[in-house]
Amino acid sequence: MPATDIAVIGFAQTPSVRDDARSEVQLLVPTVAEAIEMSGVDRREIGFTCAGSCDYLTGGPFAFVQNLEAAGAWPPIAESHVEADGAWALYEAWVRLQEGDIDTALVFGSGKSSPANPLELWPQQLDPYYLAPLGVDPASLAGIQARALLESGKATERDFAEVVARSRRAARSNPNAQLKGDVDADALLAEPYFSSPLRRHDLPPITDGAAAVVLARGDKARQLCSRPAWIRGLDHRVDPHQPGMRDLTTAPSATLAARKAGYDGGPVDVAELCAVFSPQEIILREAIGLPEATEINPSGGPLAGNPVMAAGLIRIIEAAARIIDGSANRAVAHATGGQLLQQNLVCLLEGE
Amino acid sequence: MTTTSGDKKENLVMEHLVSLTYHEKLTPTLNRFVDELLAGRIVGHRCPSCSRVYVPPKGYCPLCVVATGPENEVQCRDRGIVTGFTIITPVAYYGQKETEPFVYASVLLDDADSPLGGQDIVGIPHEQIRMGMRVRAVWKPEGERTVEGISNRGWGGLGSVVEAFEPTGEPDAAPEEYMEHIF
Amino acid sequence: MERCAVVGIGQTHFKKTRDDVTIAGLIREAVDRALEDAECTIADIDAVVIGKAPDAFEGIIQPELFLADALGAAGKPLLRVHTAGSVGGSTFVVGAHHIITGIHERVLAVAWEKQSEGNAQWGLAGGRSGGIGAGGAFAPWMRAYIHQSGAPEYIGWQVAVKDRLNAVKNPYAHLKIADITIEKVKESPMLWDPIRFLESCPSSDGACAVVLTNEAGGRRAPRPPAWVEALSVRSELAQFPGRNPVKPQAGVDCAHDLYRQAGITDPRSQIDVAELYVPFSWYEPMWLEGHDIAGPGEGWKMVDSGETEITGSFPVNPSGGVLSTNAIGASGMVRFAEAALQVRGQAGEHQVDGARTALAQAYGGAAQYFALGILRAEPT
Repeated sequence: MPATDIAVIGFAQTPSVRDDARSEVQLLVPTVAEAIEMSGVDRREIGFTCAGSCDYLTGGPFAFVQNLEAAGAWPPIAESHVEADGAWALYEAWVRLQEGDIDTALVFGSGKSSPANPLELWPQQLDPYYLAPLGVDPASLAGIQARALLESGKATERDFAEVVARSRRAARSNPNAQLKGDVDADALLAEPYFSSPLRRHDLPPITDGAAAVVLARGDKARQLCSRPAWIRGLDHRVDPHQPGMRDLTTAPSATLAARKAGYDGGPVDVAELCAVFSPQEIILREAIGLPEATEINPSGGPLAGNPVMAAGLIRIIEAAARIIDGSANRAVAHATGGQLLQQNLVCLLEGE
Repeated sequence: MTTTSGDKKENLVMEHLVSLTYHEKLTPTLNRFVDELLAGRIVGHRCPSCSRVYVPPKGYCPLCVVATGPENEVQCRDRGIVTGFTIITPVAYYGQKETEPFVYASVLLDDADSPLGGQDIVGIPHEQIRMGMRVRAVWKPEGERTVEGISNRGWGGLGSVVEAFEPTGEPDAAPEEYMEHIF
Repeated sequence: MERCAVVGIGQTHFKKTRDDVTIAGLIREAVDRALEDAECTIADIDAVVIGKAPDAFEGIIQPELFLADALGAAGKPLLRVHTAGSVGGSTFVVGAHHIITGIHERVLAVAWEKQSEGNAQWGLAGGRSGGIGAGGAFAPWMRAYIHQSGAPEYIGWQVAVKDRLNAVKNPYAHLKIADITIEKVKESPMLWDPIRFLESCPSSDGACAVVLTNEAGGRRAPRPPAWVEALSVRSELAQFPGRNPVKPQAGVDCAHDLYRQAGITDPRSQIDVAELYVPFSWYEPMWLEGHDIAGPGEGWKMVDSGETEITGSFPVNPSGGVLSTNAIGASGMVRFAEAALQVRGQAGEHQVDGARTALAQAYGGAAQYFALGILRAEPT
């Protein structure tokens, strides 16, 4: 039975912006420092460090090696890296902490989507024999998923627009958000299609950014933080890759991850969902089983700022922030990997 | 992107060539470095915490994990010591232009603590290049200087501005002077 | 905390080009052998941890996502590790942590590279001209080691001959040069002074998988398990003033942490066999010293005296090592798998007699990432 006494005690993120001229490591240096400062941990005492990033975003193999310079890797540190969103780095650190010999861990995630064209880049994430040569891009895949959702009768185009409008409105109170404003669904529905039935605003913005989290265990967390955000459950699952192999209107791996994380559909104050296309929020809400009363993406979510490889970790940060500041007592954070919600991570957070 | 298939050996092999274009701005730190370089000056950042000088500047000190900026800028002399080198026999791959053995040397400038990697050494036969050899920069004439090869990833630190280093003829540096910089 | 046992091991046959299989087919070959060894099926696996070196080597972003189906990972956790050349070792370590913490009962850890599907030289060069290759990056440090230790130049040739002859005894090894001689190594072309062609690793296609389980699973296993006694990882910066890249501190710290956990005070006498990541011949003496198995300047003497031969007192790389087989992402995992095979007594023709305690080591990046493990025949 996994431990339930590991908590988020410090975090930081860069503002989400379209094009930050700083390199990934330059984004990380102040972000990591800020998270460590918030936690009150001495950098040299951190027991384990884990980073998440994707070489292809910068276009250089071993791009992640430079990011180690933000981790304070001298004297040498116990460290690892996942080629994934920083939320999976947090998972690896959470596993490592449960060995009980260390009390603290540093996690970070970073990515810049501005250098490459995402619609050109991400087809290379697909099956290299059957899908990548077709050049299928994420917006087209998301369009197919949205179409399936409409055909199933589970949602309408207005529902998509409502998700976007609520995201932009919520983002007004998020200083790190990239897209924010008072927009209404009617105005959004008047926009032209981008990849039908999706409009440009149903897609995430192109974002550069980074985020960092400090985790601590048991008494260490209590000593350093007056109200730690305890990770009561954490799990991640993957679905088959081939879009034709699954019902695109569901996310079975998100359902499974939520159940394995100990979330059974009970009351939750806040949910931060990594729904990078507006219809995915509707799919995730159902897959995870969130009640009507739960506030979804008070930060604005990825539609308001989507620093790839940090966006999932930021969901955990945003959820933890609301526990730590006392405005919520139970929160669900979600991260995703791959296209069409293929891989999903769910983190259940609580106050004392 | 082109996709072709053909019979290679007994198995079907699909050729799938992918071309991705990246438009990456130089970081503000490197932008400033390049402006100075084009004007014939090599600048670095001195860490306010440990006083180490990084060339090119990183915008932070990786040892102290503190940010550095224009206020930490220092100018370095364009001469230094070869702290390590190898002669590369190039292998062919897509985009490779080198065909003959070439020098890949690290040069520690006199005022710097971080060596410049991947430098060419000229004016001396390959077999006479040695660790500890004192060298100076060979600058391209002002009109011919370009920033080609300078990138955020640290390849070719001096781009097409300093084309190589050449021996100064001074006595070699003692190993103590460079053993901590043999990258 | 749970004990962790290696109960299934599978490797592919490594070759320059495995164009008889797709990437998925290649990985399944290793996975199926590991499952068969453990006498279980993919349905018995709780989670999959997968590692490989940079995605640019095959040109696929996060390829594990498309491999999820073939790995049988659907509905399971699938975690992708990437720590440069050490990744195979790191993947084993991360997989084992899932068992040690009791989070899962049976984990599949798999690492792979199919280098023929891309161009690793292009990848290492970042797509630019003037790439120096891994050999070019490590050559100055090997030269510095020779300079500092006073080692004769034939030491590198001896390591090459030993590993190539060991590989002949390993059914899965890529390069098998049965008629190798010191003369042949010496006369092979110089690639990156001091490294000659026959002192360098090949570029391979291949995969390696292990089934890891807890103590109860280990005791139930159909064949003797290898018990994970200790694990450690360390990383340090690639380049900084004062760094010793010949004997990186991260490698020293990692080894000492490992020995402390395993109660090893004299690694040279207490370890029976070592699988070290040696992509260029000189790295055998360098890691013997770099992990404080031998004292300063003593590593090459262990090579010279034949101590690291398969019949010697401290055999290194009886499998033929990375010098004979290098599917980059898989290479670290192969070190752990081969170390486990040795303590299980299942290394076949390259079995070291009486191996009870084995050291597995992987390193990566600019000799800055380390993953080390101690495997034993009995749990302690």
